[in-house]
Amino acid sequence: MGQDARPNWDSPMQFVLACVSYAVGLGNVWRFPYLCQMHGGGGFLIPYLIMLFLEGVPLFYLELAIGQKMSLGSIGAWTAISPYLGGVGLASVVTSLYLCLYYNIINAWSFWYLFHSFQSVLPWAECPINSNRTGPTEECEKATPTQYFFYRETLNIAPSIEENGGIHGGQALCLLLAWVITYLFIVRGVKSTGKVVYFTATFPYAVLLIYLVRGITLHGAINGVKFMFTPNMEHLADPNTWINAATQIFFSLGLGFGSLIAFASYNHYNNNFERQAIVVSLINSGTSIFASIVTFSIYGFKATVNYESCLERTRVLLLNTFNIAEDNINIDNVFEWIEKLNTTYPEQFAKLNNKLEECDLETELSSAVEGAGLAFIVYSEAIKNMPLPQLWSVLYFLMLLMLGMGSMLGNVTAIITPLRDFKVMSHMSSELFNGLVCVFCLLLGLGFTTTSGNYWFTIFNDYGATFSLLFIVLIEVITVSYIYGLKRFEKDIEDMLGHRPNWYWKIMWSITSPLLLIFLFIIYIVKYINGGTPTYQAWNKELGTSVVTEYPVFGQLFIGLLLVSSISCVPLTALYVFCKKRKLGNHEKREHTVSTVSA
Amino acid sequence: MLEKILLLFCLSSALAENLCRPDASNGYKVRLSIKRALGDEAYVWNQDEMFLFRATLAFAMRNHLSGQDFQVSNILVCDETPRVSFWFIVTSPLDATRPVGKEDVEEAIRKSRSRINSAFLLTDQTLEFIGIIPTLAAPVSPDTPPWLIVFGVVMGSVGAGIIVLLVYPVVHKRLKKDEEEEELEEEEGEEETRRVKTMENGAAGDGAHNLSFTDDERFTQM
Repeated sequence: MGQDARPNWDSPMQFVLACVSYAVGLGNVWRFPYLCQMHGGGGFLIPYLIMLFLEGVPLFYLELAIGQKMSLGSIGAWTAISPYLGGVGLASVVTSLYLCLYYNIINAWSFWYLFHSFQSVLPWAECPINSNRTGPTEECEKATPTQYFFYRETLNIAPSIEENGGIHGGQALCLLLAWVITYLFIVRGVKSTGKVVYFTATFPYAVLLIYLVRGITLHGAINGVKFMFTPNMEHLADPNTWINAATQIFFSLGLGFGSLIAFASYNHYNNNFERQAIVVSLINSGTSIFASIVTFSIYGFKATVNYESCLERTRVLLLNTFNIAEDNINIDNVFEWIEKLNTTYPEQFAKLNNKLEECDLETELSSAVEGAGLAFIVYSEAIKNMPLPQLWSVLYFLMLLMLGMGSMLGNVTAIITPLRDFKVMSHMSSELFNGLVCVFCLLLGLGFTTTSGNYWFTIFNDYGATFSLLFIVLIEVITVSYIYGLKRFEKDIEDMLGHRPNWYWKIMWSITSPLLLIFLFIIYIVKYINGGTPTYQAWNKELGTSVVTEYPVFGQLFIGLLLVSSISCVPLTALYVFCKKRKLGNHEKREHTVSTVSA
Repeated sequence: MLEKILLLFCLSSALAENLCRPDASNGYKVRLSIKRALGDEAYVWNQDEMFLFRATLAFAMRNHLSGQDFQVSNILVCDETPRVSFWFIVTSPLDATRPVGKEDVEEAIRKSRSRINSAFLLTDQTLEFIGIIPTLAAPVSPDTPPWLIVFGVVMGSVGAGIIVLLVYPVVHKRLKKDEEEEELEEEEGEEETRRVKTMENGAAGDGAHNLSFTDDERFTQM
């Protein structure tokens, strides 16, 4: 009895929390603050909010409507809308599969850092001692302890993508744990997911709030917050600002993966998704802004600590070189003393010119980082300087885990829901099917735990989903507006909600969003063509820093394969359906002629 | 007589001054950062502290080269600066004009480094002997890395959770089926005994005992 009826969310609240848990992910914490800093601080909010209303909310509404109306996963839903465009659903599934493969690695890293926080001295706070016990390891000395811990102890990274070593045992164990927990969350489908999202959606906000209070009270945090919020309106004239705002809204809401369609397909037919779409989109953007306040107070703290330790080192250098009594120079008058000593002992001063560092707070603040580097290197560097660092470390990595796991729920559901709509799969029990999907992704994901795995991760991160998503969502909005017809869509919505969507939605779906997406699509293509050979950051052991390296031929081929494999689903499926229909049509015609003859 | 003693004294101190100078081939530079180490509780560096230093160093030399009786006068100090840094040189107890070799001094200091540090409430970083690199403490490596323990705990509980989730409905269904079967058996058994009873009653001839109602009661209760 239970297998035929489609399972539902226990309450609309579960659906909203699931969408929030999915949309609010790591990108809100590590991409938005970077964009804010790059594009004029507070001024970036203007293009961001404009894009939210021009493309974010309407496209979100569109996907929820389709899922709730068709009550099928992405493949089934798009096939129902137009048989030739079932490929859009298939492309979503393929893109979600790529995302699932590499996204859980981030969760594995979070687990690794979380487990390593239970030590009296955080392992990324100090360099390990070399074998002679004379000083720190060479690689660690050239870089910083946090970078060393990330690149050497966590990843054991190879010098380039071409060299491969074995699998990192600890990473593999953490990846296994990540997939086991994902399975635990989705084992019963919506019934288990619905209960988990109460926690994964709300816990990150609790931690962000705690961190906000902790962050604002840190020494020097106010420098960071001031730096971020000073709006720099000149950036609004730069087209890159608007493009980045559009892409950030787009990817942050998780459109095009099929997760929203999958989640909405478990709704009751008359659920009021219009209000929910607006609420979830606003919560997502609000969280980005909230998280960037926290990030910037942490930035400010870290920059101030670095600046002050730079001053301290300069002070000790001056004291030692000129043999001045200790309490004559303190941090406040270092610069005055430099001037004084330069004039009184010029030759001696010239001798230590190469040892003297430039200490500047502005440079420290403007070193903006995004992505895994921000989350795992910059943040852990800030945490190690806080009082009681173990507690803050545990809280922070638990929050990253909740954000990542919440998004994984959506990603895996996007694969499972459409596949289960096929009759072949629905005979298998849901526990077994979900388990098989998790095992499959785990085995493929082990490739990312090898020594060159991080470079493959970067390939997937940069190319696996970005371009294909733009294409998928563009086809989606054009299909609904023009092929399926806006009038039919309006009637469907009226059927579900009881009222038609007003003129704002209709204009966005038919004109604004498609135009914006076409524009973004063209910009991406132009950037790819003009960018030359794609490059990546390879970690150089001797220099202790990242070096820009070009991808080898097989790397570029793989990038091309990634892009083509998901995009080509659309035309290939259309072709397949067209051929099948024509064969069926010929078959019918032949039967018809036969019957008339026999008659 | 007095003149001879005075001459010897001047000579020895002159020799001593010649022996101890900055960049001496057998000497080492020492730098103390008392304020950095102790902050408000820092002591003032004066001649008494210097005496303690020389005594500690004499102790270190005695410790290393057992048998030779180093005295405070064998430790010569010069070029004191307000930084609190100075040069020192060690002379042999047997011949005050002969300095002890650099390697011996270095070994002696290395051996007794922690004693010298604790005499001044300082550390390897705040009491520096320029040229003698401190041997860092060996890293403590436990048998099982602590992260593995936490991992084991989490993995175990998640695994247990999955097993419970998968096994519970199967067990629940089987329990319910067993309960239903038992109930069915009980009901059939009761029906039989009651039918026998009513028959007996009827046979005893107690009067019109309406059997059909009894039976009906049974069925409606079900």
